[in-house]
Amino acid sequence: MAAIASDHGHGHGHDEALHHQFENMEQQNDSYIVGMWTFLVTEVMFFGALFLIYTLYRSMYQMDFFLAHEALNVQMGMINTFVLLFSSFTVAMSVRYAQLQKRGGVLAMLGITQVCALAFMVVKYFEYQEKFGHHLYPGPGFGSHPEYLHGATPNFAQLYFGLYFGMTGLHGLHVVIGMIVIGYLMAKWWRNSPMVTKDYIPTELVGLYWHFVDLVWIFLFPLMYLMPKP
Amino acid sequence: MSAIPADPNVTAVSATPRTETNYLNADWSIKSWLLTGDHKRIAILYLVSVSFFFFLGSIAAGLIRYELTAPAGFILESETYNKVFSAHGIIMVFLFLIVAIPAILGNFLLPLMIGARDMAFPRLNLLSWYLFMAGGILIMGGMINGGVDSGWTFYVPYSSMYANSNVTMVLTGIFIAGFSSITTGINFIVTTHKMRAPGMTWFRLPLMVWALYATGVVIILGTPVVAVTLLCIIFERVFHLPIFSAELGGDPVLFQHLFWFYSHPAVYIMILPAFGVQSELIANFARKRVFGYHLIAFSSLAIAGLGFLVWGHHMFISSESMYQGVVFSLISFLVAIPSAIKVFNWTATLYKGNIRLQTPMIYALGFIGLFTIGGLTGLFLGCLGTDVHLTNTYFIVAHFHYVMVGGAVTAFLGGLHYWWPKMTGRLYPESIAKWNAVLVFIGFNLTFFPQFIVGFMGMPRRYHYYYFAPEFQPYHIMSTLGSTVLALSFIIPGLYLTRSLSKGAKASANPWGAHGLEWETSSPPPTSNFDQIPVVLDEVYDFDPVTEHEQDKAAQALEVPSYLSNEAKSAESEKEKR
Amino acid sequence: MASTPLSSDSKHGGHSHVQPVWLLLGNMLWLMVLLIITWWASTFDFGNVVINNVVAMLIATIKAVFVIWIFMGVMHASKLAKIWVVAGFGFLFLMFGILGDYATRQFEPVSGWETNVPNGGASSFPRQWPPQKKPEQVGENFRPRG
Ligand code: HEM
Ligand SMILES: [Cu+2]
Repeated sequence: MAAIASDHGHGHGHDEALHHQFENMEQQNDSYIVGMWTFLVTEVMFFGALFLIYTLYRSMYQMDFFLAHEALNVQMGMINTFVLLFSSFTVAMSVRYAQLQKRGGVLAMLGITQVCALAFMVVKYFEYQEKFGHHLYPGPGFGSHPEYLHGATPNFAQLYFGLYFGMTGLHGLHVVIGMIVIGYLMAKWWRNSPMVTKDYIPTELVGLYWHFVDLVWIFLFPLMYLMPKP
Repeated sequence: MSAIPADPNVTAVSATPRTETNYLNADWSIKSWLLTGDHKRIAILYLVSVSFFFFLGSIAAGLIRYELTAPAGFILESETYNKVFSAHGIIMVFLFLIVAIPAILGNFLLPLMIGARDMAFPRLNLLSWYLFMAGGILIMGGMINGGVDSGWTFYVPYSSMYANSNVTMVLTGIFIAGFSSITTGINFIVTTHKMRAPGMTWFRLPLMVWALYATGVVIILGTPVVAVTLLCIIFERVFHLPIFSAELGGDPVLFQHLFWFYSHPAVYIMILPAFGVQSELIANFARKRVFGYHLIAFSSLAIAGLGFLVWGHHMFISSESMYQGVVFSLISFLVAIPSAIKVFNWTATLYKGNIRLQTPMIYALGFIGLFTIGGLTGLFLGCLGTDVHLTNTYFIVAHFHYVMVGGAVTAFLGGLHYWWPKMTGRLYPESIAKWNAVLVFIGFNLTFFPQFIVGFMGMPRRYHYYYFAPEFQPYHIMSTLGSTVLALSFIIPGLYLTRSLSKGAKASANPWGAHGLEWETSSPPPTSNFDQIPVVLDEVYDFDPVTEHEQDKAAQALEVPSYLSNEAKSAESEKEKR
Repeated sequence: MASTPLSSDSKHGGHSHVQPVWLLLGNMLWLMVLLIITWWASTFDFGNVVINNVVAMLIATIKAVFVIWIFMGVMHASKLAKIWVVAGFGFLFLMFGILGDYATRQFEPVSGWETNVPNGGASSFPRQWPPQKKPEQVGENFRPRG
């Protein structure tokens, strides 16, 4: 029934970056890209469910969400958005350098990305700290200083801050994971590992992930920080 | 080559070299199993662990059944009863059904069927098993620690506010197990797209591959939603983030929406791979190309898509808008169409086939009947009006057991028998297995058919007292009797399959005379599946029932049925041993 | 090394497309401009709250499209990647169908539910058809505010 292909030598030894289950680099690269996109689809659904919850509650309690959101610091949000958009650019550049096999460029760009990510987390830290200080973290002590609620009904404001901490927290977790992965990638580049230098795909995959993190923030920012007055 | 003894004095082993290396005997060390990237070994790891969880889930099931034989219960406290049925549901759904066919049979077969050396991402595949085990251990930990009593559905606010704190641990376990299923899904999708052998076009794929692909799609679209929904409960319990809390103005019904947005598709994660197994069994044992190959292939995708549009039929009485209820009722009827197409096509395949009534085929025929009943009663429930009467009764319990046990578990057993020679290189004893298949069918119907009746009469699900209606008792007793038979019929294969590992006759590469790439390599296959990547030149299910029938007749005249020759030999050798 | 195509859809080979610097840089600057527009739009009243929200989400979506299309390289990616992107967001919208429930659901107290039920309240189904319009002041949930 099935004939045997005669010319298929096993990939070993031909290409250091080629895994045994693949026939050639093209197949391997395609597989990784498709795999990453499939994973990103799951991430879209993952955050999507949270956005759905947010949409529902915000439509139910428009005024309270608006009043509660005034407690957020728009400047900090803006800065963070700038930082993330810029880091998306540097990651895209690092992919470009990886394609051109320019090790120095890749390392520089990934380094800047790391700095951006760190800056993002530091700003987040100060934001969170402020909210905690103002007793805006949901739970028993919530709203014990009503002046920070800006007149929102405490219960509904609590819903808002529950979503705020839940969604930005999960997003922040993704940023941290991104930092770890980028750090790992940088180490690989630093050590001239053929896994990354011979093949730009690992860099590309990390880039895709990082852009997704950016994408989530693009929606989080206007939804959390910039509500129009109802 | 084969076993390399750690002790240099032991030379006897290397003195008797094995004739061939395969994935099982390539390396015997435990490390080589726990760090393997080989999809076949991962399938075996899954088989062992999933069987263990199935065993635990079955014990819980037995407890439930025995408790229900008396109208006021007699072995369990109310609290305990709640924990037992929750444990049963959680283990069976998240640790058995969702993983059983995809992660065991699917993992084992997908690369073999498409002519690949391995899955696209072997390490991800291994990670998936570790995630599964981590999730399983957490879930079991929660149960040992005192158990949860929220049912497998974890409805808020009960699970987020009132239930005991083991819920957090169990939910974390389910969350992690969910990622195991996501990684498996990603692997299936990428492997099907990118790893097919030359000549293996989409319409030469065995229907099992189509089914696994559709399963992968459902997994990646649905699982993240339930993951984040359950995460919200964890957030609520651990971090006080009020996501669904009604007392603050949150909406508990939203939890149900999100939960069923995954969990209805999840029933298709359980049944789609079973459909795939079923198509393979029917084609091989009717010795005929499956009738309407394209229809079956596309109906898998249609189910994957439509399955996402009917979640609301679980919420008809949960204050869901009645307008949306009407729409969901309608779409629920639509989703039955692709399932029905499959049933009709399998039945049509039997027509003029050269049917061989071997064990897998008996399971497959049982599947058709049981799944039909399960699916049709699904329509009773999907019908807005009747559901108000039937919801939360034993009618539902019977409905989903007909599809999940009568469908998925039956297909799993059928598939396990069918591919057992390929997986282990050994033949199982055919005659016991045949009788056991019949026993499964009888035991199953005895267990669950009475539940339809008693449910229709009004027996509520998740109750263990029915002293207000002692007339239910005969049905419960019948059901418990049946479950005993069923339990027996699950233990027997466990015994003879295990025994066949050492005592069974060696299987040839293709003991069934079946058609497909997985049968072209040796049994068990070598680690890299094929010595060389095959090139596919012919169509799938290329059987010729008429000539085969004639050949069978000729062989019968010589008193040795050709396709049975292996088996006959094994039976003889067994007799000799005795 | 063998160059046989392994599967029907593996022959597109567009992944290794190197993006020019001006495109990436331009895209980033454009996104920054959009970000400022986002902020500006949030302070501007386009008429009513629905339009304001739609505008905000529209701008965010445009930003997302540029990130996906250029930074993530979908512009040059395989057809499969494009299908995946569309399918991902398509199913996300499908999930937003959940909101259809809330749009058509009648919050308690539902008119006709608590009073004037024919046959002595034996049925909880509202008997008036068409159902009465939702009152302005329904429970805690819809508290109109200044
Ligand atoms: C033929 C298409 C099917 C239809 C129309 C259908 C319909 C329904 C409906 C309407 C319910 C909800 C009843 C209620 O809560 O009042 C239900 C419950 C259920 N169905 Fe199906 N079903 C179908 C197929 C399946 C399949 C194939 C499976 C599994 C493999 C399945 C598993 C379940 C389960 C587990 C439940 C109970 C969930 C719970 O715990 O509440 N169904 N089905
Ligand atoms: Cu359902």
